[in-house]
Parts: sequence; structure tokens; C-alpha cells
Amino acid sequence: MAAISCSAEQLSSLLGPNSTGAADYLCSVVSSISSKLHDTSYAVDSTYLLFSAYLVFSMQLGFAMLCAGSVRAKNTMNIMLTNVLDAATGGIFYYLFGFAFAFGSPSNSFIGRHFFGLRDVPSPLYDYSNFLYQWAFAIAAAGITSGSIAERTQFVAYLIYSSFLTGFVYPVVSHWIWSNDGWASAFNTGNLLFGSGAIDFAGSGVVHMVGGIAGLWGALIEGPRIGRFDHTGRSVALRGHSASLVVLGTFLLWFGWYGFNPGSFNKILVSYGTSSGYYGQWSAVGRTAVTTTLAGCTAALTTLFGKRIMSGHWNVTDVCNGLLGGFAAITAGCSVVEPWAAIVCGFVSAIVLIGCNKLAEVLKYDDPLEAAQLHGGCGAWGLIFTGLFAKEEFVREVYAADAGRPHGLLMGGGGKLLAAQLVEIVVIAGWVSATMGPLFYLLHRMKLLRISAEDEMAGMDLTRHGGFAYVYHDEDESQAKVNNGGIPLRGFSNSVPTRGD
Amino acid sequence: MEVSWETSVEKSINTIYLLFSAYLVFMMQLGFAMLCAGSVRAKNAMNIMLTNVVDAVVGSISYYLFGFAFAFGEGSSSNPFIGTYYFALKDIPNSTYDYSFFLYQWAFAIAVAGITSGSIAERTQFSTYLIFSFFLTGFVYPVVSHWMWSSSGWLSPSASDLFIGSGAIDFAGSGVVHLVGGIAGLWGSLIEGPRAGRFDAFGKPVPMRGHNATLVVLGTFLLWFGWFGFNPGSFDKILVSYPTTSDQGNWTGVSRTAVTTALAGSTAGIVTLFGRRLLVGHWDALDVCNGVLGGFVAITSGCSVVEPWAAIVCGLVSAWVLIGLNIVALKLKFDDPLEATQLHGGCGAWGLIFTGLFAKEEFVVQVYDSGASGVSRPYGLFLGGGWNLLGSQVVEILAIVGWDSISPATVGTHTRVIRRKHGPGTTQTMRGFRTGS
Repeated sequence: MAAISCSAEQLSSLLGPNSTGAADYLCSVVSSISSKLHDTSYAVDSTYLLFSAYLVFSMQLGFAMLCAGSVRAKNTMNIMLTNVLDAATGGIFYYLFGFAFAFGSPSNSFIGRHFFGLRDVPSPLYDYSNFLYQWAFAIAAAGITSGSIAERTQFVAYLIYSSFLTGFVYPVVSHWIWSNDGWASAFNTGNLLFGSGAIDFAGSGVVHMVGGIAGLWGALIEGPRIGRFDHTGRSVALRGHSASLVVLGTFLLWFGWYGFNPGSFNKILVSYGTSSGYYGQWSAVGRTAVTTTLAGCTAALTTLFGKRIMSGHWNVTDVCNGLLGGFAAITAGCSVVEPWAAIVCGFVSAIVLIGCNKLAEVLKYDDPLEAAQLHGGCGAWGLIFTGLFAKEEFVREVYAADAGRPHGLLMGGGGKLLAAQLVEIVVIAGWVSATMGPLFYLLHRMKLLRISAEDEMAGMDLTRHGGFAYVYHDEDESQAKVNNGGIPLRGFSNSVPTRGD
Repeated sequence: MEVSWETSVEKSINTIYLLFSAYLVFMMQLGFAMLCAGSVRAKNAMNIMLTNVVDAVVGSISYYLFGFAFAFGEGSSSNPFIGTYYFALKDIPNSTYDYSFFLYQWAFAIAVAGITSGSIAERTQFSTYLIFSFFLTGFVYPVVSHWMWSSSGWLSPSASDLFIGSGAIDFAGSGVVHLVGGIAGLWGSLIEGPRAGRFDAFGKPVPMRGHNATLVVLGTFLLWFGWFGFNPGSFDKILVSYPTTSDQGNWTGVSRTAVTTALAGSTAGIVTLFGRRLLVGHWDALDVCNGVLGGFVAITSGCSVVEPWAAIVCGLVSAWVLIGLNIVALKLKFDDPLEATQLHGGCGAWGLIFTGLFAKEEFVVQVYDSGASGVSRPYGLFLGGGWNLLGSQVVEILAIVGWDSISPATVGTHTRVIRRKHGPGTTQTMRGFRTGS
């Protein structure tokens, strides 16, 4: 924001002789007004960013409920604990070094190197609100991966990969795309990739692809859940235990996405020049919320009818996943496309998700939350979509860019932006595969990754988390074993829970 | 006289900030209702959820009629013990307090009664609960908040006459909210006794597991979410600049408070995870949830006046405080279905002490003197700030425990309890049907 300034000398010369006193007085008043406006601006932007951060945080809850509902009842405690711990361990590791790797400026184009343990924060660049907002994003990425490896992963492996992903793998990617120094960043005005930089506004690639590709490797190396593909190789549905939780989670994620996408502007009080008084960054923020909504809705409807045609009935859990895929896709370009384009985005993302799911079945790939297909597949489509539909006017406003900046291919912007998007897709897939792939493989070789077949059949809640999540009949209590501390340790029950409960 | 445009802008921004913080704190009612529901047996779910709804609706009436007045009433004669003005919001709004402030404080008041309902869950007569909730929200709690948060309160750090030159710092209420709720719950639980079957004939504890862990996690996350209104929102105003800096003001303190809150809860959760793994041999999701909440309760007192690294220390210790108190409770045959006394009472008290050890002077001056230059205040003992702050914190703990023990005990002695050894719980007999499985 340009500073309001007042020069007492100039003012005095305009006012006439003996006016130094008057000029000084007027300038001091102007100066205090400027200060007040300055402060107001900080307060407004902080309020906006903080509430957006709280919304993104509520997506943790949404994802926890989505996960819980999508797995079998015997594994509910396990998956929810992983979600709680994503937030907790992410908090510590992102504070200690994740934020520094991501945003530590000034630095090189690969990784950041300031602000470890929030040293020197607040600074003119970053306040605590920026840290909190980015923390909420970081923990979202780790949450995504947990979906792919649900129902069969040892808890220790979980803790290790989650810390590594939130503390290192993810921050490095966000440095490339979102930091002022990043080699692929659209904010790196001195040194733009292909003269464009990649546009991934709220993270279809940085968040969703990273989480999805990490999940892909975990699930591939672990293999499918027992019973997921029968002896002839046909797929068997392992239904989640609660559609209500799936819907609850989906709506909470939708709610939180209003912090995830529009909040990525970081500031709301920014004007785009003096030509029209009512239009400024606040309008772009609103437009972003609209594009987000439209993409999700279109994807959901497309999925509804698509699955009706394919399977003969109206499937709520598929529609929920389709909806989320639409959000994951629009996340890259939400701020730089017109609302009508968001409809196109959602439509295609639904088809991408259905296609990826079919492919997964053919390849006998088992992902309990379809996380790799949804976040990886729809995320990649979202980046391509942005390279096709980004509007020049919006790109210039959002990235404070000069005229002539590359934009969407189908909007007359040439191929440079699309090329940068493709580079981002390849590089993210490569980096995540090169870091998380070996980690999962190492854990697998050390027999730390997958649980035993007996544990998997009995359910992880029973064998590793102290008991089932649901206790509807109190008579069961009297069968529980008790040790000296009064802590319940259940023995194995005689009947092994059947598939589908 | 017309309001200047400048004042309008400032007040609008501050009001938006406070109102949205109030809505977040209100979400904690839902969070606590879900936590409670999931933590009790299925046959008592309706009962506990109704108590949570009742807390909000009954508390609204009592807090509106006289609770807010007892808490913040400052008339011509200001009293350090209890407020005497603004009954039924008379003379609100004024230059100090607007409706948004009342709503924010209301959201806090109804939270306190919720805490206590956890301790006495599964065995308390509903009619007694109604009376108790009305009384706690309308009188017991407001008086404590007057001491600590009104500018005429005897322990308040905003008073003109500071207690031992310091006043006690309880920014968002580890003491005022959590310790009050926890101690009231302690008395209710002690007087009622444990649930039937909780300790067997040899005195050994029998586990009574909650019926739905998903609701417990849902409730925990909603509480976490709402805590972002509970702690940072306690600044009340976001548009206050600090004169000795060029770009810092309450917006910086607010953001820092959100960060300390998140870090304390996170640390407490991780430490509880590993601590319980050592003690019981498995990874317990429900214990981790309680551990996280204990971390939040503890940081609530000093969230605005400590560095982020100190918040990590706070969470680390609070996890062990909770684990320790739970072991003690079992040994003493104390039954609290939600561990509310141990969590809110115990971690709340630790939070007050923590503040007395780690408060940073620069932040104390920012919060209580708007960052004015040349002001000095007692601050954390470990940071070189002397004993006065810690002393005030201890006085606050003693005062709250004392006050809380006199008031609800009189109600508690009249509490009658449904005692059943077998068969239906309170829900079926009093509500006519039970929750389906």
C-alpha cells in the first residue's frame, strides 16, 4: 500500500511566507492519519487471515469424519487418531523447521533458511497469522496421505511419515511455488519460470498432489487390504461404516474450503488501482469463493448422473467424493478464472475421478479414501485447467504482474503458463516419489509398515487402540480385562468381526 | 454529536472481530456436547446432551438478567468483589461495553456450566441440574470473573489499584472458567459418589467406556476450532496499535495467541500419546483427545503473554499433570466420567502457575497497557520478573477454590441421586426411550 506522505517544505512554499508552523502542524496530522490507516489495514487483514486459518483448521475435523465414515467400524479409532496427530505433530515440526524451509526469506530457490522456531517473526513479510495459516495447510497435506494407507498401516510408520511429510517434503514444494524466492513461483518477479511462473493459487499441486502421490506410494508398497480383490482378481467393495459421517465430513470440508481458497490471498484490503471504486482484492476474494462453489457443485452433479448411468443407482458417498474432487481441482486456479470456467473445471474433474478409479481397479490398486485418485488425479487436472483458462486481467491483479504476462492458452495467453504447470506436475510427482517412495520402502523392509494379517482381520482398534470405537451394549463391559491401573485392555473376542462392520 | 467516520471504521472492525470470536466460542458448546455424548454410556446420551443444551438456554437467561451485571457492572460505586450495574443490560451499550461484548462473555459463561456437567454425568437428577446450572452461570462464575476481568476487580491486572502491584493474569480463563467449572464438578462428584458399578467390591476400578469414540474426536476438534475464538478473542479489540512499534498492535498479539494455543494443545497431545503408550501399552485416541484439551485449558491463562516456545513447555507439563491426576483419582476412588475435575481443574491450576513463571514483560505491557512506553510490570519468575505475579496467581487459585467450594456445596448437599445397580439408566426412565444402537 502506497504511503501517504506530506512534505512540510513543499506545503510551506505553497501556503506563503511564515507558514512553516502551519505546514508542520498539517503534516503531523496527515502523518497520524496515515498511521491510523496503516494500523486499520493490519487489523483488517489479520482478522481476515486468522478467520480463514480457523476455517482451514476445521477441514482437519472434516477429513477426520470423512475418514472415519469411510473405513470399517473396527478401524475407526485408528484413523481418527492419525488425524488428531497430523494436527499435533504438524504443529511442532512445522513450527520448528517446516515454516522456515517453506518461507524463510531471503534464500535460494530450492529451500528456505530463516525463521526456524519462528525466530525473527513477526517481520515485515510474515506475521504469526501467516504462520498459523500455513500450518493449517501443512497438516492438511499429511491428512490426505493417511487416507490411502488406512486400515492396514502400523502406527509407528504413520508417525514417521507424517512428521517427514509436514516437516520437510511439503514445505520444500511450497517454497518452490509460493515463496518469493521459489524457482517455479509466480511471485518470483525477477526470475520467472518461462517468464510466467506456475500458478497454483491455493495448492492443487502443492497440497493435493503432494498428499495424493505420497499416499499412492504408501498404498502401492503396502498392497491392497485383505479381501479387497478376490482370488479371481475382481474387486470387492469394502464399504465404510457410516455414510452420515462421510456427509458430515464432506460438508465440513466444503465449509473449510472457504478459508482454503479465498484465504490464500492473505490480505483482503488491497486496491487494484483507482479506476473503479468498488472493485478491489475484496471482490477477487468473493469471486474465488464463487468459483470454488461452482466447481464443487458441478463435479458433484456430474458424478451423480455419471454413476447413475454406470451403476444404476444414486450414490451419496460417490457424490461426496466427486464434490471434493471438484474442490481439489479448482484450488489451483480459483482466483484467476471466470465463474463459467469453474463449471468446466468441475465437470472434467468428475470424469477424471471416475476414470482414475476405474484405472485403480484394473491395476488392483486399493486406496480406501480414493485419496491418490482424488487429490493426485484431480489436483493434476486442476493445474492443467489453470494453464488453459487463466484470465490475464486476474493474473495481473492477483500476482501484481505487468501487462503481457502469460495466461491461459484457451484465453489467448500462449503456451508458457501451461508449460510451467506441466513442469510443476512432473516435478512434484518426481520429488514426492523420490522422498516418500524410499521412505515407505524402507519402512516396509524393516517390517514397520503394514500390520499383520491377524491384526487386520480383528481390526486395529481392538489390537492396538484399546478397544472398539462403539460400545452400544454395556453388558460387554463385564468381559473386559482389568489391570492394576484400572485401564481396560480387551482380550480378543471369540468371534472375528466380519467384513463390512 | 455524529460519530466520525474514523470511529465508525474502528468500531466496525473491532465488532466484526469480537462477534465472530463469540460465534466460535459458541461452537464449543456443540463440541462439548459431542464430547460428553461420546464419553458416556449409550443409555445416558440423551440426558447429557440435554444438559448441554440446557446450559446454553438457562445460562442465557440468568447471565442476561444478572450474571453480566455481577461480572462487569461498574456504576458510580465500583465494588472490588461484585458488580452492581447493568442488570438486564440496562445502560448497554455505552462507551465501554457494547452488545458484542455481552455476547462474547455470555458464550464464556455458558461454557463453565458445561464443564461441570461432565463430572456429574450419568447419575444426576435433572431438576437439580437445572437449578445448579442457573446458579453457577448467574452468580458463582460472574463473581469470579469480576475479580479477574473487571477493571474494578480486586485481583484484576487492569485495576487502578493492582493487587501486590501486579494483579493476576488469567487472560482467557484457566482459572475463571476452567478451574471454576472443575472445582464445582469436583464437589458435585464427591457428594454424589461414583457411578454404580464403577468400583467393584474390592475397590478396584471397573472401566465404563463411552459409547462412541467418533463423537469424542468430533467434539475435541470442534473445541479446538472454537478455542481460536476463546483465546485470541479475549483481546476484545483487534484494532489497537502499540505506540513503540511501527507495525505492531493487537493484531500481532492476537495472531501470536492463536499460535501459542495451537502449540500447547499439540504438544500436550503428543506427550499424552507417548505417555499413555508407556503406561498402558497401546495408542489411545480418547486419552490423546483429553490430553489435547488439557493443553488448551492450561495455555488459556497465559496465551497472550508468553512466547511460542513457552507454550510448548506448558503443553508438555499439562499432559503429565492430567495423567498424574487421573491416577490419583482412581486411587482415591473418585469417579468423573469426563475427567473434568482433573482436566479443567488440574490443568487450569497448572496454567495459572505456568503464567506466573513464563510471562514476558513486553507482552504483559502490550496486553494490559496497550504497549505504552515506560511502563513496567511484574512478569514471569523464570524470565526474571520477580515473585509478585506468581504470588497473585497462587492467590487466584486459592480464592477460586475457596469461593467455589462454599457456593455449590450448599446446592450439592441437597442433591439427590438416582441410584440403580442394574437396569435402565437415567435416560430411559426420565425420557421415555433410549438411544438406538
